[in-house]
Amino acid sequence: MLGKLKKGEKGRILHISSIDHLVRRRLLDLGITEGSEVCLKCVMPFGGPIMVESCGQCIGIRRKEAIQIEVERL
Amino acid sequence: MEIALIGNPNTGKTSLFNHLTGSYEYVGNWSGVTVEKKIGIFKNNKDKLIDLPGIYTLNPLSKDEGVVTQFLLTEIVDKMLNILDASQIERNLHLTIQLLEYGKPTIIGLNMMDVASKRGIHVDPVKLSQTLGIPVAPVVARSGKGCTDLAATIIEGDIPNPNPSLVHYGTEIEEAIEKLEELLEGKQNHSVRWLALQLFEGNQYVKQYLYSVIGEERLNFFLQQIEKTINTNYQTSLEQFIFQKRKAKIDWIIADSAIKRNLTKTPLSEKIDAIVTNKILGLPIFFLLMYLMFMLTFDWLGFPLSDYLDGLITGPIASGIESLLSAVGASDFIHALILDGIVAGVGGVLVFVPQIFILFFFISLLEDSGYMARVALVMDRLMEAVGLNGKAFIPMMIGFGCNVPGIMAARTIETPKERLLTILLTPLMSCSARLPIYALFVGAFFVQQKALIVLSIYVLGIAVAFILAKVFSSTILKGETSLFVIELPPYRLPQFRALWRSTWDKGKGFLKKAGTFIFAGSVFIWLLSYAGPSGMDVALDDSYLAVIGGFIAPLFEPIGFNSWQAGASLITGFLAKEAIISTMNIIYFVPDEASLQGLLSNYFTPLSAYSFMIFILLYIPCLATTATIYKETGSKRWTVFSIGYALIIAYILSFVIYQGGKLLGLG
Repeated sequence: MLGKLKKGEKGRILHISSIDHLVRRRLLDLGITEGSEVCLKCVMPFGGPIMVESCGQCIGIRRKEAIQIEVERL
Repeated sequence: MEIALIGNPNTGKTSLFNHLTGSYEYVGNWSGVTVEKKIGIFKNNKDKLIDLPGIYTLNPLSKDEGVVTQFLLTEIVDKMLNILDASQIERNLHLTIQLLEYGKPTIIGLNMMDVASKRGIHVDPVKLSQTLGIPVAPVVARSGKGCTDLAATIIEGDIPNPNPSLVHYGTEIEEAIEKLEELLEGKQNHSVRWLALQLFEGNQYVKQYLYSVIGEERLNFFLQQIEKTINTNYQTSLEQFIFQKRKAKIDWIIADSAIKRNLTKTPLSEKIDAIVTNKILGLPIFFLLMYLMFMLTFDWLGFPLSDYLDGLITGPIASGIESLLSAVGASDFIHALILDGIVAGVGGVLVFVPQIFILFFFISLLEDSGYMARVALVMDRLMEAVGLNGKAFIPMMIGFGCNVPGIMAARTIETPKERLLTILLTPLMSCSARLPIYALFVGAFFVQQKALIVLSIYVLGIAVAFILAKVFSSTILKGETSLFVIELPPYRLPQFRALWRSTWDKGKGFLKKAGTFIFAGSVFIWLLSYAGPSGMDVALDDSYLAVIGGFIAPLFEPIGFNSWQAGASLITGFLAKEAIISTMNIIYFVPDEASLQGLLSNYFTPLSAYSFMIFILLYIPCLATTATIYKETGSKRWTVFSIGYALIIAYILSFVIYQGGKLLGLG
């Protein structure tokens, strides 16, 4: 799970289709989809969003969405 | 010739626009977010460049993205200029392919090559141009390098029609496109290939358009067929299938024209982010920045400058006008109109120009540096708790400058519920027009704690907005999912020219208002104060203004200000909040600001002054804001609601503060 990675850890997205379709589309727009490599950069406090880096760009998504994205640790 | 400028968000579109156009017509592009199309004229004074909001794809999720599709469907475009961020080229090419499918001559401005090469990505413009079959011009949008060549190519160059079939989508889809072509034969002028692919991707705007051409039933039947074919043959959705086909082509283009190397250098952005979006430090840093911004706007820079300007207007300028009027032998009426009405009214607003420009400067700085998106990230948890999302904080921040662009910036919020909530609550953000009023009152009553008192009012506005967000989202606006995915652009060192330009763009609205609206209002108010039921040149207490103000004054007694003067100024405040200052300046006509402040103490106590400021903060969105709310929501009901709830909340809060304060013995 992407939400379970630790700060600085890298992973590859295996499965993304269980998250809300609007969120999925927006991630797709940003080029983040199955097969993308991601790196967890920051975690906001109190269960806030996380910041991940993929292909040199940073995006913020909420943790509840991140835990629905399956990744394999790299 | 009409040339459309299209590109992903944060690719430098607006910078490029500014470099290509010498002049521009201003169309509601207030904030860093281009929320409406903006039309500029090329330096040859003939051809038009149309700046459109930044989009990732033509298939819109939010309202501002819809602007582009709508534009392509309804307007006539001669050529298109597509700006690409070389460091994010894969992602950017998705949009490029869709534009090529649209079928109009297109040219690419390849930006941020320097950023790309720092990341080890090298893009060869010549090769890319050969692969795509359209001209590619390298530019540096920030400095303007390459822009002259680019302009020349677009305007004079012979740009060939692109190959709209760059991507082959497989037999099923290609056949479906041909079938749609038959259905649409001769009924419209757009590229059928483009319409078909947008339809397959689920573009609602295109779907509606096609409904109007061939009818809902026929189109739905056609769409279902192709969806079913793709589902059974490939076990994937039509949308995903098209994306994969494009992606495969993009990978091929990249392999053909760009070399990618991986460097493991930590960019500066990441170092900054490690601090400002830090788990523990993130919020404190944000609040510290806000505090610094307010201290600079008020105590450290703003007040001294305003005082200086006030001295200038009430001193040399007023006496200059006075001697000029005496020299030309103006009548007493004209004399009074100009000095007591116009100079007092307009001048009273103009002295706050420095503070307003400083505030706008900082908002621009936050936008241009890339920090604003981090604010959304840092604030998301809090915003989520009250039923909004972090992106709603950006319209609110912009609302500190002026509520109108703030409300317009809410267009970037994807879900309708969160957007409506943001529109309804942004007017609670204390805009710069309200600032002169606070400045006047804190100058009179809270000399020791100026910035702190003003900050408390701003914070109160935010707090009320948050509480109401919670209340509204769990009562009248229940349901619907929340969506929060935000791109965090790399930090950029803002360039002074760009900063000044964006500050000026924002601030000149204020100057314009002073020159027109406040000017007319001042004359009108002065006339009301000059004339009364018993004739002209009456004592102020016998004027029409006193009659009108006295009529509503009793309503305000429970919240601490029952003078007719306060009542009258609140009425004019609906037109524009600055008008409150003009009105007061005219009512209490005094030689300078210091004596006005002295005079105010006859009518207000510190407690009732605070209650008055809170009331002004909340009581009603100004006329321009109300019009914007109506335009953005398209609903009279929500517009009336936004005025109604504000009045009620303002009254209740002022009542609590005033009566509570009195009970505590502060009055």
